Amino acid sequence: MNDVLRERQRQQRFTAVCEPLRADLLRFAFWLARDRALAEDVVQEAMLRAWKSLDSLDSDAKARPWMLTIVRREHARTFERKRLEVLDVDALVAAEADVLAAEEDAAVAEMREALFRLEDDYREPLVLQVMMGFTTQEIAAHMDLTQGAVLTRLFRARQQLRKALGGAGEEP
Amino acid sequence: MNCLEFRRAVGAEPGSDGTALAAHSATCPACARYQREMQDMDRLLGRAMRVDPSAGRRTDAATAPVQARSARSALGRGWAMAASLVAGVLVAAALWVSWPEPSLAAEVLDHAAHEPQSWAMKDIVSRADVADVLDSSGATLRPDAGDVTFARRCFFDRHWVPHLVVQTDAGPVTVFLLGHRDVAGETHLEGDGYEAIVLPAPRGSIAVVGRDVPGLDAVARQVFESVEWRA
Repeated sequence: MNDVLRERQRQQRFTAVCEPLRADLLRFAFWLARDRALAEDVVQEAMLRAWKSLDSLDSDAKARPWMLTIVRREHARTFERKRLEVLDVDALVAAEADVLAAEEDAAVAEMREALFRLEDDYREPLVLQVMMGFTTQEIAAHMDLTQGAVLTRLFRARQQLRKALGGAGEEP
Repeated sequence: MNCLEFRRAVGAEPGSDGTALAAHSATCPACARYQREMQDMDRLLGRAMRVDPSAGRRTDAATAPVQARSARSALGRGWAMAASLVAGVLVAAALWVSWPEPSLAAEVLDHAAHEPQSWAMKDIVSRADVADVLDSSGATLRPDAGDVTFARRCFFDRHWVPHLVVQTDAGPVTVFLLGHRDVAGETHLEGDGYEAIVLPAPRGSIAVVGRDVPGLDAVARQVFESVEWRA
């Protein structure tokens, strides 16, 4: 009886804490993988891993960074497992054209394509900062980098986007 | 803090507002403008990142429950999802309809006013640099337009557009090539001591802004005629 109760509480906790993050996780995985199907697989696998190791989450308040870390690792594992080749960005852009499209705003669509073309090392910290609201310290911890390295990547990411959209670049 | 340090800091964290940054920004209009551009770009970035990768695809994998659940709760989730989708569509539609079209007057006149240093520049920008700024807009400027003393691409109404200051016989004028912005006909704008003429162009429009420039209409037409568009 205690096991049943414990399992039910666990399930309730997962539903309350992890499930609401699914949409954000999927978006994060999409910007990492630049592929919807892959992003869905990564998130589904990450949810399973989170379910299995839910007891290791010591505070519900930490669920978001905890889940993002799981997604990040799962994404890396997926790439390793599938031995994905160097990606053809033009093909990725074409394949995900309907997600990148923003009929109501051409500037948004242009920015999405520019983001797709940004190197992984620059895109990920930018997504964490702008979309997830991480501080540079949190990004450094998440990506196992120094804070200085994060600041450099964020600066370069924005300069590359700026140039891609027709603006002038600054000195690196 | 110098300009390079400021731009590195703001380029990494456009929303940062430390004392040193604020102090530098207060004394350097170019860096203050850079920070505004970076903040504008971040707002656009935030909107761009809000994609919906699950739309119309593999909803089984995207939304599948982690553990087996009863058909009843699954049905409930289905209704909840349908409701949230409908709500999402309604919100998106409402945003689409209500997204404010930026006021042309505010954009043109404010941008010119926020660039006081651009009017004061005296050094002539090389033809190559002017061509470089205009290149991605598919335009060139004939030399008879006058000397160009400021040329760069600025973030304007969520687009990067060429911004020039041309020294004409009647005085300096600011020129924006607004490739993204169509106007139905010649438009006159006034405010904060500035006057602007916006003319329909083969691609979007051209805005010519002046301060106490006599016969700005004629000057604007002269500048307009000096811009050549690539096919």
